[in-house]
Amino acid sequence: MLKKLIAGLGIVACAAFAVQTVKANMPPTPSAAAAPTPQILPKPATNSTADHSKFKELQKDFATGPDVTKACLTCHTEAAKQIQKTTHWTWEYLNPETKQRLGKKTIVNNFCTSVQSNYEFCTACHVGYGWKDQHFDFTAQENVDCLVCHDTTGTYRKIPGLAGHPAYKEMEYPPHSGKMVPAVNLKLVAQNIGKSSRRTCGACHFYGGGGDAVKHGDLDSSMTNPGKYLDVHMDKAGLNFSCATCHMTSGHQVPGSRYSMTKDGGDVGRMHMRGKQDANPETCIACHGNKPHPEKVGRLNNHTANIACQTCHIPEFARGGKATKMLWDWSTAGKLDKDGKPFSLKDSGGNESYNSKKGDFVDETNVIPEYIWFNGRIDYTLRETKLDPAHVIKINSFEGSPTDGKSKIWPIKLFKGKQPYDVGSNMLVVFHTYGKDDSALWSNFNWDKAIEFGMKEIGAQYSGKYAFVSTEMSWPITHMVAPKGDALTCKQCHAPDVGIGRLDKVPGIYMPGRRANPLLDLAGWGIAALTLIGVLLHGAGRIYMARKGH
Amino acid sequence: MWKVAIGFVAGIALVGIVALNIMDQMMFKEHLSPFGFEETIARIQHNIADSPELKAKGWALSGLRNPAKAVQADGSNVLPVQMIEVCSTKYSGPILKEDTVRFLSILMPCKISVYKKQDGKTYIGTMNAGLMGKFFGPVVSPIMSKVAEDQKKFLEFDPSKPAPAIILPAAPAAGGGAGGGGGGC
Repeated sequence: MLKKLIAGLGIVACAAFAVQTVKANMPPTPSAAAAPTPQILPKPATNSTADHSKFKELQKDFATGPDVTKACLTCHTEAAKQIQKTTHWTWEYLNPETKQRLGKKTIVNNFCTSVQSNYEFCTACHVGYGWKDQHFDFTAQENVDCLVCHDTTGTYRKIPGLAGHPAYKEMEYPPHSGKMVPAVNLKLVAQNIGKSSRRTCGACHFYGGGGDAVKHGDLDSSMTNPGKYLDVHMDKAGLNFSCATCHMTSGHQVPGSRYSMTKDGGDVGRMHMRGKQDANPETCIACHGNKPHPEKVGRLNNHTANIACQTCHIPEFARGGKATKMLWDWSTAGKLDKDGKPFSLKDSGGNESYNSKKGDFVDETNVIPEYIWFNGRIDYTLRETKLDPAHVIKINSFEGSPTDGKSKIWPIKLFKGKQPYDVGSNMLVVFHTYGKDDSALWSNFNWDKAIEFGMKEIGAQYSGKYAFVSTEMSWPITHMVAPKGDALTCKQCHAPDVGIGRLDKVPGIYMPGRRANPLLDLAGWGIAALTLIGVLLHGAGRIYMARKGH
Repeated sequence: MWKVAIGFVAGIALVGIVALNIMDQMMFKEHLSPFGFEETIARIQHNIADSPELKAKGWALSGLRNPAKAVQADGSNVLPVQMIEVCSTKYSGPILKEDTVRFLSILMPCKISVYKKQDGKTYIGTMNAGLMGKFFGPVVSPIMSKVAEDQKKFLEFDPSKPAPAIILPAAPAAGGGAGGGGGGC
């Protein structure tokens, strides 16, 4: 009998493990260093009244991107002027709350750290052509790149190192990789322009920080054609949202910025209102409202005042199989192999764990976010900010508290790093990574030269001595919204099986069951059970004695 | 007399409750991994594949299966989980030859499950082969005892060694098999 019971248990157990009949799955493939080699995509269905291939202006061969732009502007006379007012063009943002001047143009982060002194490389993600140094002409309309957002062929690709230009002739990229990038056919691309898409937005936003999935954690190439499990709104077989469905654009202004986050959609007055709440469209409540849950689970609506939708509905990020960087340690960069050549190492999942040019990395998939109180205000450590190198430097600080009446609990990616600072001034430094000169870190692996060059380039003083400081940067998690069935369950915060709930580190909240302890639970239930038994026995005894006539 | 009877029944009930509560922990073991998800998988695989001792005992990786993939295909999410499949024909052979215990083929190949939990940590799940073997008589019991001993070696990590790469299955088998076919059952 026991044998059968055990056999039965074994069968059930094995069945539980082996019931899946899936094909063997490969672990996450290594992140590509750049966007994939383009192939011509099928023409998207469109109800446009214009076929651009029939436009005379576009029926010629173009030598450069700016030549195409000139042709575009003959009809779209205001387009470049509109673009030139956007942060996509200026890479500059003045935060009205903090008065801090932010944007890629000036900020120092803890990924590639700074655009300054590295323009030719970084401006592969600028919506313009020719930004190779500080003297870029931001007023020249032909410098606007129309194709990077409007290409539908999938063949248009801006190559790092070409100051925002695509390859006009076949070239090897990455250098010394043996991989050839074909020359772009500008005529083909220009004749096939269309609306922006997940692919065009993703060409930069999925690859921020130098590779696929590196920076955001909730944006990577798996979002180009996501399944329902990855993003319930963008599911290619379902709602099939493009980025612009939420980041609804008007006059080329794209709402939604991490520099000045929209906490709850209530900041009426920002651009592009729509939806039930007459609020900013890139927020959840613009469509879902403040009481999004149906009556039968109406209790969940009590949470919406204090908990961002993302907290429950994005249970993990980097869920698409692409590992996101969680740590970047620049201090170990510069090691060379026995032949004096740079090298790289990979971790068990095939992601780069060391690169002589960049240092050590830690990558992770399916990351459980950190949770914080956030009221929409973000303060940055700027390059000019005095820092205390004895402590971890917060590149940005999300402000909020449980008592300010404005904050909600938000999920974030906490990205850690180590980067150089000036020991003399106790400020972050700008260093020169890429260039065809002798000072670029990626060419000579000499920090002294790279920092000296970078600081000179921005006109800042440098004491000549550097060291490395630990840094942290927070990234709001707001994409990769899971289907409702995968949202956090009550017990994942309130009565966690593992002892500590998701919101354990969030201060200022009382949550029954936030720290479950099996032994304490057992003791409590044991006492309750013994009490019950005692009462029953006592009652039974009294009845018994009463019947006996005592 | 009735006190004895009540005590006896209560004792049986208590033992039953305790047994039910700890049965799962006896049959299966869960270990906290000191490494990340991918590294845990890779280190277990290499412990098996690179050990001359285990190789001599016939152990070989036979697959790497991802149950989470099917859930994803169905439009939902679960935290990462991968099952390392490993087998030794030297152990499986005698069991498969014996009609009375052939049903145990359902436990083959041996599986080591690596998974993440809500606390963000990586865990390793194994079957308590030694205990299970004890219930199946003279053919199975000694074999499973040896399997249990070898299982411990699968999980002996040397942190001083650099993280190896995951050994991917050679090719997915038709019908959702684990692929690989590197050896085993």
